[in-house]
Amino acid sequence: MSPLTFDIHASKAAAPQSSAARCGTLSTSKPVHGGFTTKRVIETPGCFMYSSKGSVPHLTPDTMRLQDYGGVNVALEQILQSDQPASFSKWPSTPTSPKFTLADYLHLQDLVLFCDLRDFSFSESTSSISSDTATRTSKLNPNTDRHVLLSTPKGVRQLTLDDYLKVVRQFQPDIIAALADNIVDTKESPQKRVRKSIDRTLKWLDQILVERQGGDGRAADRLVEEEKKRRKELKEKRKTMTKEQQQLQHDRDAASDSVAIQPVSTEPWTDVAVFAHVQVSHLEDERIWSAKETAKRDGVDGFILNANVLLSTSNKEEALQQLENSLGYLPSQKPKLVYGIHAPEDVLKAVALGVDLFDTMYPFQLTEDGKASLFYFGESATPGAVAAASTLSSSSTNRWINLWDDEHGDKFVPILDGCECYACKGNRHTRAYINHLLKTHEMLATVLLMSHNMYQYSRFFAAVREAVKTGTIEQHANAFHKTFGVEPIRTGEKHAAQIIVEAALTKRNQRLETAEPAVVDAIGSGDYDAKKRADSEDDADRENKRTRKVQEKEALMEDVA
Amino acid sequence: MKSALTWEILAKCSTTKARAAVLTLPHGVVNAPVFMPVGTQGTLKGITPDQIEGLGCQIMLNNTYHLGLRPGQELLDACGGAHVFQGWNRNLLTDSGGFQMVSLLKLAEITEQGVQFESPHDGSLMLLTPEHSMSLQNSIGADIMMQLDDVVSSLTEGPRVEEAMWRSIRWLDRCIKAHKKPDSQNLFAIIQGGLDPELRKQCIEEMVKRDTPGYAIGGLSGGEAKDKFWRVVSQCTDLMPKNKPIYCMGVGYAEDLVVCVALGVDMFDCVFPTRTARFGNALTATGTLSLRQAKFKDDFRPIEEGCDCVACKSYTRAYLYTVATKETVGCHLISIHNTAYQLRLMRQMRESIIEDRFPQFIHKFFKDLFVEKSAYPEWAANALRSVGIDILKDDAAK
Repeated sequence: MSPLTFDIHASKAAAPQSSAARCGTLSTSKPVHGGFTTKRVIETPGCFMYSSKGSVPHLTPDTMRLQDYGGVNVALEQILQSDQPASFSKWPSTPTSPKFTLADYLHLQDLVLFCDLRDFSFSESTSSISSDTATRTSKLNPNTDRHVLLSTPKGVRQLTLDDYLKVVRQFQPDIIAALADNIVDTKESPQKRVRKSIDRTLKWLDQILVERQGGDGRAADRLVEEEKKRRKELKEKRKTMTKEQQQLQHDRDAASDSVAIQPVSTEPWTDVAVFAHVQVSHLEDERIWSAKETAKRDGVDGFILNANVLLSTSNKEEALQQLENSLGYLPSQKPKLVYGIHAPEDVLKAVALGVDLFDTMYPFQLTEDGKASLFYFGESATPGAVAAASTLSSSSTNRWINLWDDEHGDKFVPILDGCECYACKGNRHTRAYINHLLKTHEMLATVLLMSHNMYQYSRFFAAVREAVKTGTIEQHANAFHKTFGVEPIRTGEKHAAQIIVEAALTKRNQRLETAEPAVVDAIGSGDYDAKKRADSEDDADRENKRTRKVQEKEALMEDVA
Repeated sequence: MKSALTWEILAKCSTTKARAAVLTLPHGVVNAPVFMPVGTQGTLKGITPDQIEGLGCQIMLNNTYHLGLRPGQELLDACGGAHVFQGWNRNLLTDSGGFQMVSLLKLAEITEQGVQFESPHDGSLMLLTPEHSMSLQNSIGADIMMQLDDVVSSLTEGPRVEEAMWRSIRWLDRCIKAHKKPDSQNLFAIIQGGLDPELRKQCIEEMVKRDTPGYAIGGLSGGEAKDKFWRVVSQCTDLMPKNKPIYCMGVGYAEDLVVCVALGVDMFDCVFPTRTARFGNALTATGTLSLRQAKFKDDFRPIEEGCDCVACKSYTRAYLYTVATKETVGCHLISIHNTAYQLRLMRQMRESIIEDRFPQFIHKFFKDLFVEKSAYPEWAANALRSVGIDILKDDAAK
């Protein structure tokens, strides 16, 4: 019995033959706790909110909950401490109350909590080079039969199946991605390595499914370990033996059975749903093999396909075809999550292939660039949105404006007239104000942009669901293309105004380096760079002996930053 | 002069000079004593206006100097002032832009006309006169605006201190004359005179004649000995009119706030709580937690038990350790907590004054924060002894 329910809604309108698009509701039967009265559900096609270190970027929990997303995706590598799972013993536990889980730790009890091992959504191909986070998914050494490698805040670490299972038992997210050997696929990837990754992924998946039911999924592994150990011991022994003794020993070993392994009883974790990574290589045979084999595992609650892998070897069109190819082998009644599909028109295509779940990398990246989305889809347009789209000249930039642009400096109008997001609502925060915040390096800029972009992205998905229901998705997709064109390639280059502001800050900081502390203090400044400065001297343990004086000195440095 | 505020004292401490009052300004009521968070550039460090309101903040500070540079006077006029610009419907206070210049002294030339200084941003020459400061502050539209004063460092001695004091008085006259909106904005005078009691006395006498809606004690918090600092504050509150709010500029450490309230100060501001937050430091009644320290990795308590801010209601120290100084959310959360802490401290003082148990509050405050009497700051003990409280005496208050 799966803890997860995925109801696919019966379609009222006859969908075109060519479309596999469907609407559904993803919900979990776990009781809600942590002071929340209701647990959210995810309407599909829909999104998990992208998170960084367990928080939706820039949004504090109260501001985040103004959004109506039903779930959040947390990458284990961003939150797993180097001494975990060993230090889980220090997590709060009382016999009476429910276990302190990841949802409690991250205060996400009311959302569908999805955990994957790595931050797969973040791909170098779609991210700014200059970003702090660009190294997150950078290539690591290959995984082995024993472990996968994670890029944690404290450096690269190994995660074994054993660790993984301990983590799942402690964290108990609503959904966990099965341990998988995800490799960086290139055109040169040997077929053997791709097959190896599929085999490993399937083996781990089977072991995980056994363990979830309370079975001993690691018995076979232990047997191999024991056998290895025994052989090694024998070898050692033989070194000290005479020829005759060796012969004798050999006969004895042959006579005795190999090591016996006692099955270990384990604690089941049946209220955690398991999603399996389907390996989507550019190699067709391997791709199909992975999809077919993964589809056979009944215990799997959903499937994950990482389109970023395909996009690294193929163009968008080919990648979508390959995705369709994989999806064709997967059971239709189970939800499918895809990484790497973000721009609205790409989402529309993926929805037509039957993809149910995406993430919010798109609004996050717009925000990082200082952009605010204006696009609308289907019936979701407010009169303000239509007006905004019609006033912009080039269709490719109709979809957003860049608030770094000087032209917004005196526009005392909201980003989007009639938008109900926190930033726009009641015309409270104007384009001019956000432009000011960006140019003064104030952190509220990204809070407001994120609020707006996340809200608009959720509206987009709501309109997509509506169009799927009414069978008008194709028609609306055409209209969308006409008005908004395609997403320009994200170059990662900074806006000219941003470069000027940052250069001015750097120059000023140089002037201030020799200045009196009081001067620095008086000038104050935006503190956007404070976090980087703090990062660079991050040896937190050194701070034990800190006095307030030291803090003040740091404060001055911050202002220089 | 005209006033756009009312000042009603609700209660006076029967031991110290502390008082609880209601200050009514054009954008609503302010419960005093009050701490004003500093939103230098028209925003409080990543905290949304709704969150600031939610913390019970009734008045926030903006810096004239910064808003004058960006967005600039023209845009402020175009949008109708700083309240509208930043979506903040409660009260604002702006400084004169003068505090920046005392620190820029090396780059600045002070004449009778005003202060000419090199912009630290682009090196261009700028002249700040009392008239210009008033004009800028009128455009910003803050509920309380500060006169341009001739600030000298509190470490300066000799005739320069006296010169600055008399010039500040002349500049106050020019500010009063240049102030275009006395019906909707309150101009506060700033008492100068360094650490010299005689100069302070003369300054107060002159400025009180001008009858501004409120008064600030200026020229302090510049690195002077704390024992000198409190004596100036106490002398000023003795001589200043009792029927108007008294604002001590740039004060914000918890023990300074408590002492100054006991000495009769009503209003404070400081960048410290939000600034230190961005370094991962959280303020509590029992001291500062440096959340970047690894010892908090497995600490599953909130920052402060009983705090109802969103950081304490949502997260443990263990989680905040992972985001402090790493994620903007970490900055926001600790800034919110520290602002909540400051405002709570002021609220607790106010309540204890109204219930006339402020001395007990003070004893407990120092015990919680410093634990051992040997750790109590000597200057604070001296200051409080001057208003009838001996915090070093054993449990004087029960």
